[in-house]
Amino acid sequence: MRRLLALLTMVGAAMLLLEVSPGTAKGDPSPAAQASADQNLAIIVNQTNTIDDITLKELRTVFLGERSHWPNGRRITLVMMDPGVPERKAILRDICRMNETEFSRHFLQGLFTGEVFVSPKTLSSPTGVRKFVFNVPGAIGYVRASDVDGTVKVIRINGHGVDDPEYPLRFEARDSK
Amino acid sequence: MKFRIFSPLRLLAQTVHGMGKRVLIVALGMAVSAPCLRAQNAAEANTDKQTIQMLLQRIERLESRVAQLEGTNASAARTEAAMTVHPPAGPAAGPATTPQAAPQTAAQTPEPEQESEHLEPERMDMSKTLLRIRGFGDVDFHGTDQRGNTNAFSLGQLNLFVTSDISEKFKFLGEIVFESGPDNFYNVPGGRRNEFAVDVERYLLQYSYNDYFNLAFGRYHTAIGFYNTAYHHSTWFQTTTGRPLLFQFEDSGGILPIHNVGLSASGRIPSGPLGLHYVAEIGNGRASRSPLTDEPVQNEVDENNYKAVNLALFARPEAIRGLQVGFSGYHDRLMPLGQPRVDETILAAHAVYMLPKFEWLNEVVLVRHGPDGSSHVFNTPGFYTQIAKRFGSYQPYFRYQYINGSDREPIFPDVGRIEGPSFGMRYDASESVALKLQYDYNIARHIQSYNGLTLQLGFTF
Repeated sequence: MRRLLALLTMVGAAMLLLEVSPGTAKGDPSPAAQASADQNLAIIVNQTNTIDDITLKELRTVFLGERSHWPNGRRITLVMMDPGVPERKAILRDICRMNETEFSRHFLQGLFTGEVFVSPKTLSSPTGVRKFVFNVPGAIGYVRASDVDGTVKVIRINGHGVDDPEYPLRFEARDSK
Repeated sequence: MKFRIFSPLRLLAQTVHGMGKRVLIVALGMAVSAPCLRAQNAAEANTDKQTIQMLLQRIERLESRVAQLEGTNASAARTEAAMTVHPPAGPAAGPATTPQAAPQTAAQTPEPEQESEHLEPERMDMSKTLLRIRGFGDVDFHGTDQRGNTNAFSLGQLNLFVTSDISEKFKFLGEIVFESGPDNFYNVPGGRRNEFAVDVERYLLQYSYNDYFNLAFGRYHTAIGFYNTAYHHSTWFQTTTGRPLLFQFEDSGGILPIHNVGLSASGRIPSGPLGLHYVAEIGNGRASRSPLTDEPVQNEVDENNYKAVNLALFARPEAIRGLQVGFSGYHDRLMPLGQPRVDETILAAHAVYMLPKFEWLNEVVLVRHGPDGSSHVFNTPGFYTQIAKRFGSYQPYFRYQYINGSDREPIFPDVGRIEGPSFGMRYDASESVALKLQYDYNIARHIQSYNGLTLQLGFTF
């Protein structure tokens, strides 16, 4: 039995190494310096939200439901766009690092265990997302930078505004195909 | 033919004559009071502006709701047009969307209601239900070469997972499970074969204050180790066909107090990149009377005044996404009939690495029973290790498990030692249906080793 366990431990450790290395590489979105501002994805929150800046890591915890409240005590309500929409694809790839199936299962299991308090809301249009965020104080969503208007608040990521060349959330051209 | 010439004086005279003096008095009264009203209106001009502002805001909100409803209708129309074979994601207790499914209809419909909830979180609308239901089930075929057993098709647990967002801070969560077959408490069979019974496995009112403090009242799964609070009663979520022996339910011969009735507090601990979390629980604990044919979970009455307590701490370090390491300590006092009281201590530790395509679960548990008046403590150690890797829709897995209880163990003398490997393959036929085939080899202390084979169809709906 000891041999079996030792063998299993070695196999597990080897597979662990294989899994960790690509995972860390996936996290860095490639900056496309030539990308224009309307190819960036803006993270939007309600105007009453006190948050101005968020790190990409914190954003990930928000989009995966691991964080349930804002610093002002409001419950976080995540707004996602329909599956298949380029903006959603970019969020899943760059923030959640999951595909649709994994994302769906992640939230279902989170709700099942009780760790996730509220499931994300899904809307089909940027206008809908904007209006939802406008109406719900704890809401957070995303739209193309060109779809932003004064009804919502755009937050900075890692200290970068949506027009900065170093802004990390890009909606790449191939996503829209 | 006579033409009548219009004259206001004549009309007034006719009116006075026809309608009486009272009308004239009212008209005069209105004329006198008009300047007063104008003065009052001027004084309330600011109030009107505010009212207009409020109305404008309300119009905007209504417009927003109309736009969303129109969007929903458009989605529904697109869904019908596409004639998709995927069912729309239900408003169940899952994410509001199912991948590759049709654009959400059911999930989107409640959104305007959601707005209302947020704007007026404590208002109860009697005309709508806040209940959402997600189902889990499994159907199995299993066989073993153990004497006295036959191979059979069997219905697994039918689990209705119910949630309801009562308000921004309160939520209800429940698991109502229909299951067939006799109960088996500490290896003492109870109930009838082939009959279905209903158990409310979880029944919780949750209060979420913030990320650092959440409370749950009711019946919960005790936070001993990892597995018990990760998979609950859904076989579809589990990679394998069943739970490890260590974490079997009480009515399936399990040795741990899987369920508890009481109060549970949980949350994050400010710890930066370490990602520390805590769970602190106090409840009735598990019944210990022997021979036991009653429900071991003390849903209504506790056999003593002593309450079971459990404290669990675990870390999810940011540096290694998917890793969770933790331990827990549980203590209760049991009162078996005709025997001395027994102190029960359960220590558990786990190291789990879970990614969407890879999992490696390792848990070890030590159950200690110390009867009053005796210096001897009965230790029952157990562990399991499980590893699985996903290749597309296929997920081969391996598990080795071990439990070793003393034959003189005062609470569960029939458990003894059992260990053995399990191999299996999970195939996800769709996002909601999984087919699993598992082989088990069991080595036990007092009985001959035996093989088992299980084919399971697990699903969520």
